[in-house]
Amino acid sequence: MSLTKETFSQISPSEFFYRNRDLAGFSNPTRSLYTSVREFVENALDACDQKKILPDIHLSIKAVDPEQPDPKPYILSVKDNGPGIEPKHVPLAFGTVLYGSKFGLKQARGMFGLGATMAILYGQITTNKPVIVKSCADGKTQDEFVMLLDIQKNKPVIQKHTTKEASKTGLVVSIVLEGDYSKAGTKIRDYVSQTSLITPYASITFEDPSGEKFHFPRIVKEMPPPPTIIKPHPHGIDVETIRRMIVDTHYQIPIVDNNMIIKVRSELGLQKKNLNSKGIMERAQKKWSGLSRPVRTVVAMMSFLNLDFDGLSKIRIDDLDIANKKLVYWNFGESKSHVVELDSESPYYKQLANTVQGDTLHAFLTKRFQRVGPTTADKFCEFAKFKSEKRIGSMTNEELVKLADALQKFEEFLSPDPSCLAPLGEEPLSKGIMKFFNPEFASVIQRSASAYSGFPFVVEMGVAYGGDIPPAGLKVYRFANRIPLLYDEGSDVVLKIVNEMDWSRYKIKGDPPLVIVSHICSTRIPYKTVGKENVADRPEIERELKNALQYLARKLAVHMSRQGMADMAKKRANLYSKYIPLIAQFVTELSANKKEPNYKQLIKKGSELEEQQI
Amino acid sequence: MNLKNNKSKTAKTAEARKGKLLSTLKNQGLTIYNDLENGKFPQFSIPSRSVSNIVYDKKLRQYILGNSSAVRSARNMSQLRSYTQLSWLAFFVNRLVKEGKSSTLRDIYYSSQAFEIDFEDQPESDNIIVDLEALLSFPREDFHIFPEERSSVFGDLTIEYTVPGYEGRRVNLSDHPDGYLIGPSLSSAELIDTSAELVIAIEKGGLFTRFVEEKVHKKFKAIIVDTAGQAPRSTRSLLKRLNTELGLPVVILADGDVYGEHIAMVIKSGSANAAHLRELTVPDAKWLGVWATDIEKYKLPTIPMTESDIKRIYDLQKDPRYQEGNWKTQLEVFLKIKRKAELEAFSKYGLTNITDKYLPEKLELSKSF
Repeated sequence: MSLTKETFSQISPSEFFYRNRDLAGFSNPTRSLYTSVREFVENALDACDQKKILPDIHLSIKAVDPEQPDPKPYILSVKDNGPGIEPKHVPLAFGTVLYGSKFGLKQARGMFGLGATMAILYGQITTNKPVIVKSCADGKTQDEFVMLLDIQKNKPVIQKHTTKEASKTGLVVSIVLEGDYSKAGTKIRDYVSQTSLITPYASITFEDPSGEKFHFPRIVKEMPPPPTIIKPHPHGIDVETIRRMIVDTHYQIPIVDNNMIIKVRSELGLQKKNLNSKGIMERAQKKWSGLSRPVRTVVAMMSFLNLDFDGLSKIRIDDLDIANKKLVYWNFGESKSHVVELDSESPYYKQLANTVQGDTLHAFLTKRFQRVGPTTADKFCEFAKFKSEKRIGSMTNEELVKLADALQKFEEFLSPDPSCLAPLGEEPLSKGIMKFFNPEFASVIQRSASAYSGFPFVVEMGVAYGGDIPPAGLKVYRFANRIPLLYDEGSDVVLKIVNEMDWSRYKIKGDPPLVIVSHICSTRIPYKTVGKENVADRPEIERELKNALQYLARKLAVHMSRQGMADMAKKRANLYSKYIPLIAQFVTELSANKKEPNYKQLIKKGSELEEQQI
Repeated sequence: MNLKNNKSKTAKTAEARKGKLLSTLKNQGLTIYNDLENGKFPQFSIPSRSVSNIVYDKKLRQYILGNSSAVRSARNMSQLRSYTQLSWLAFFVNRLVKEGKSSTLRDIYYSSQAFEIDFEDQPESDNIIVDLEALLSFPREDFHIFPEERSSVFGDLTIEYTVPGYEGRRVNLSDHPDGYLIGPSLSSAELIDTSAELVIAIEKGGLFTRFVEEKVHKKFKAIIVDTAGQAPRSTRSLLKRLNTELGLPVVILADGDVYGEHIAMVIKSGSANAAHLRELTVPDAKWLGVWATDIEKYKLPTIPMTESDIKRIYDLQKDPRYQEGNWKTQLEVFLKIKRKAELEAFSKYGLTNITDKYLPEKLELSKSF
């Protein structure tokens, strides 16, 4: 057992990722170039978002030798106007795997900042060129690092470090990597343009290998409110999650080692003095109000064990079983386990029980979950048939299952706090869509927050119809946490919902000039694959998507019927003057007449009829 | 049969029909012309083809349209377009017939586009064609409009073409061993002379060829018609003319299943789809087989019926024509045995078993019903 563990720990995280690079989207030169662009651009946007800076992103891809055929080495560089990174953190941030500031329960584009390091790693493996990082965090000096990654040791190797004066904060990262732009180009251009759609507050410039510049200007000047870090929502919490929450809620039995004994001695003022068990107890009672919680617990245990400090150093506390009122310990000297009965009448018993059993259910609910106040907690306890003063540490397995079950079923919890999410908002989304597609009609909706498996999410959706959109059938733009999803479209939940829709009910037929923009925000998007390209079909997410789509389709249908009526009126206007002459022409030949009949009178009658009807 | 005498009576029948059609068209044209001239919105009154207006006429022994009719007026804004389409079709048919040209249903759909008549799709133009059939009481074959499907005929029958470039040219339908396509030129030809005493309509092309090889036309003095499944209207029209103009009895051989039985029924008494038309039925035609009772009697190899076969039996049992006699009996037996046999099943007993044994026996039997 311990041998196996040893072997594993000898592989550094860098090495692990290096060996499993396919999983992270670095399977071939085409995909790797695209993934690298994504990782750097997303890091730059996340950095700006966190500091509420309107992003200015410059992306450039240049071939090292343009004459060489693909796949070949490319220089990829991304520049932002974000907060930069303090010079001392740069080597670790870019030179090791698993270093990042993005831990915590809130929405961000990437999860742990792994992707950028993967891209650097991939570049180094394929071209053996160092990464160049230029960072300015204070707005005065820019530090430039040229470095390589020591894959086995998971350590940066700095080749060069220079500084110079600068006037603005920001970060520039350039790597050299083997890529295939001829194949990846379309996807990269799509990625950049769609990113500008879902990030309308950013200005993005992309210079491709041929030197052509694509500029996507900022459409809105206001940034959506930044996400905050929050507690979990009771819906969708499972037994395992509760168990973990309880473990770090209730006060552990302190480990009684030498350090703890020194602490107890010092709090009792007995650093040097040795008292017998009874003496220690007397001293403790006098000083009780000034004792820390762990010391109180140790003293309480000593009271049942009848031990002095010397005796205490020779045992190990194994279990404190409040339910059966038993204390189990191991005596090193005797190499033997002992069981002590606990007297529930003793004043120390309560101290132990409180410590081990943790908070009351009521306190646990209000302290550890979002959106649960004292009233809701009371109602819940009644609903779940638990006493609100029940200690969560004393719950049996069956009771925990019952609790988890009730947490999911109780319907009076408020919907999850979406403050940890950063949806774009209806107005910026609508402006982005108008600017991007220039449609004749557009509508957007932001659904209220919902949760799946304890993770809150928000669905935002928009439709655009007509105008500059070509009549080439319905097209879906998918986004998750402000990232465009371009690959694996077929198996995505959004596509599924869109395809299941009966569009004819909403007056949409044939190949409509119709675009749907779907944005799912969550603290955790349930991706189907590690490549993060398609969202799995969770019933809660499906329901929100469906509701959003139906709402928008109804809006569209209203527009379509208005449009239809206007078209109809226009068509009717000339109906008689169009058809009567045709009829005249046909029957003249049919009846073997030479001259057409005089139908002027009839057309006049017809236009009178039209006027009456319109 | 003495055809010399018959000839004066039968000859020029096709020519007469053409003349009648052209004058009907001209009269329609004149009425509309005058309406336009007088500032009056013209209108057509078309017999309604809705299900409620399709009734079975026991005397005529076919489905016919009832008395209700629908008015299509140029005054009504929502009908104006289809009114124009219908008057265009009348105009176009007039040209086709006068110039002796033929076209297909698909041709009509495309031809319309030269005259700013926009049919949304072919079903819309097909529908207008049926409207004109109902309005004028002529089948579309008389308009020189044909469907794509073709069936064939073989036997000692001399015809005289009336199509341009072939006027007066005669041909004997036993000259080509594969038979002659029942197309526009054959449909409009005059029937001149025959030595046949019988018409055998057979459902399948393969057996049609076998019958020619086995000289059934000589042995039984027969004209053989391949209906290629459910007989197209041009084929039913030819069978009708062979029966009425030349006085030949018609017998039908089809697969031993519910569809085969109904193929025979449609030749005999028409289909609900063509209830607005006469001249397409042969009320005296006889269904020789394969009957459900033949399956047992001739020990034919069978295949089980599908669910849709059985559903079809239940449907037909509601049809007024299946309420009595052999038609009713056979349906009941089919339903009981729930198995079917194809015409080819006779091959189990040798390729010529059907012509040597089954056909003569059934022909003998048919004299009694």
